[in-house]
Amino acid sequence: MGRIFITCEDANILSTRNQYDDLDSKERFRYKLHHGHCPQCRSIDKRNALFTSKLNFLGWKRLSDAQKKSIKASVRAALKK
Amino acid sequence: MPEVKLEPDKWVDRYSDYLYNFTISRINDGVLAQDLVSETFLAGLKSAANFQGKSTERTWLISILKRKIIDQYRKSNSRKGKAEVRMSYLNSDQDGDWLEEQARDLRNPTVEDEIEQTELGNALNACIAKLPERYATIFVQKTIDKLDTEFICKEHDITPSNLWVIIHRARVQLMDCLKTEWFEED
Repeated sequence: MGRIFITCEDANILSTRNQYDDLDSKERFRYKLHHGHCPQCRSIDKRNALFTSKLNFLGWKRLSDAQKKSIKASVRAALKK
Repeated sequence: MPEVKLEPDKWVDRYSDYLYNFTISRINDGVLAQDLVSETFLAGLKSAANFQGKSTERTWLISILKRKIIDQYRKSNSRKGKAEVRMSYLNSDQDGDWLEEQARDLRNPTVEDEIEQTELGNALNACIAKLPERYATIFVQKTIDKLDTEFICKEHDITPSNLWVIIHRARVQLMDCLKTEWFEED
């Protein structure tokens, strides 16, 4: 993705990566430039951001490393039997 | 669809957080949820010989977990029933007061948020279950488990570009799946 102007497909991938704060400054520039002239991708980006906010609202709960370790130990013990 | 082989040594890394979220949105008890996830894996190991490889590992584990959750509902309902009978017997003259005190104030926004969170969580889990196995696993690892891109790429033997394409497609499918009720744009 070395070009300044990118395709809509590339812009959509960058939009998704942006939801995970994964863009470097050049990529962010290309992504913003594309959105400057593409209302369709702007709308997809808006939807992507809305989805991220819904996911954040969910407040996913994770098992701690210790909990996972304990489950792994019981699975391993059962596997050995 | 190619037949799926079970890989129990990878279950905890791949599915434990997803199963835990699935459980906790239904029973709201962290310790019990952990136990049920652990029991699900053990039950999966016991019945591994019966796995025919026609569904994905995740779908199969979820079906085991659902049965465990239903059993748990039955157990807790029978316990709750006994407790209520005892309560009613001890405080027979204060039935009305007790009921009034126990009722939750549904106008409280935090309660509404909790309900919405649970319902959205259930809807999202149902949509994740409809994703192709690989998409679901990678989406969950990146979005819920917040694992490093490098780690996920190594585990699935894919490039970062492939990973982002998969995550993007998974998100689009999830947004479409959730659209009807949860995802109306303003």
